[in-house]
Amino acid sequence: MSRYQVDKLLRDLRRDQPLAARFRTNIETVLDDYKLDAEERELLKHWEIRALYDRGVNPLLLLLAHGPAAGKSMQEYAAAMNPKDRPPGE
Amino acid sequence: MGEVVAGIACSHVPFMASPKQWERLPEAERAHLRGGFERARKILEDARPDVLITFADDHFDRCFYDNLPAFLVGIGEEAVGPAVAGFDIPNVRLPIASKLARFIVREGLEGGVDFAFSEELALDHAEIAPMMHLTPRWDVPIIPIVVNAFAPPMPSPKRCFDVGAFVGRCIERWPERTRVAFLGTGGLSHWVGPPQTGKINEQFDRWFLECLSQRRIEEATGRYARYEDLEAVAGNGGHEIRDWLAVAGAMPQRLRPEVLAYEPLKPWSTGTGIMAWSS
Repeated sequence: MSRYQVDKLLRDLRRDQPLAARFRTNIETVLDDYKLDAEERELLKHWEIRALYDRGVNPLLLLLAHGPAAGKSMQEYAAAMNPKDRPPGE
Repeated sequence: MGEVVAGIACSHVPFMASPKQWERLPEAERAHLRGGFERARKILEDARPDVLITFADDHFDRCFYDNLPAFLVGIGEEAVGPAVAGFDIPNVRLPIASKLARFIVREGLEGGVDFAFSEELALDHAEIAPMMHLTPRWDVPIIPIVVNAFAPPMPSPKRCFDVGAFVGRCIERWPERTRVAFLGTGGLSHWVGPPQTGKINEQFDRWFLECLSQRRIEEATGRYARYEDLEAVAGNGGHEIRDWLAVAGAMPQRLRPEVLAYEPLKPWSTGTGIMAWSS
């Protein structure tokens, strides 16, 4: 997994509102601009927060990018990071 | 000759910039924290600094993995921020004491600290949020020093203390009459983004504050010297105690350390503390 490329995309999504908007409406064109493998693309498309974290993606970047790019709440982020079958901190 | 006249270390949780976020705090905790900031502000005001040197880290808004220095000094004419808007952080523009900043960089490069430097270093909530409460008139020129306390691998806690001590000695060697205060921001324990987000380790926070207030530096820098050990006990945000240690290193013996306030603030998901070194 090219963790750097995922971190870089998350950093850009936080800083660049038009990019974050395009990520929500036309995600494939955004993903094409980063060197991501097929698994990474799928995880990002579905905002698989916990899976990305488990693969070493920086959690601060995940949290910062999640709101602008996914348009979801902090509660939704926390739920995705702590699925019911995975206790906190596991 | 330069003189170190005071030091402050405090948390920089961005919520402290927002009146609405202060209202979310229980009354007793809010009053305690406000009182701590007020005392810190008065200590700085009484110290009459000509320059404020800040040790703060980043949140990937100024530095990223494409180019990530351990210690980065702003040496330009002015510092503007925030680098990325949000959290009700106001826009600020502050003069940089660039002549002294360049002196510190040169002393470092010739004396064993390989500082990176920037002519265009933006400010972050790490500086702006606490300064809203500490230097609200925005009338003290600064020298911003960004410490990598956010993107592993990081400089060790001991190294951060030693670099702070080096900067303190630079002030003593500075040939112009200049009163210098230090501000370090970040921490204390908090988890930002991982599964434990929202957790606070009050026991760790109180231990760390006790170490600094009793000058138990070897213990403060050594017990959790490994990145993984500090991460486990204080969270990914707890690495920011490096900024406090840098200030502790810069302080001369004649300035007395004192904890001004601490609250494990659940509404802000951060162990929030304030310390001062004053005469």
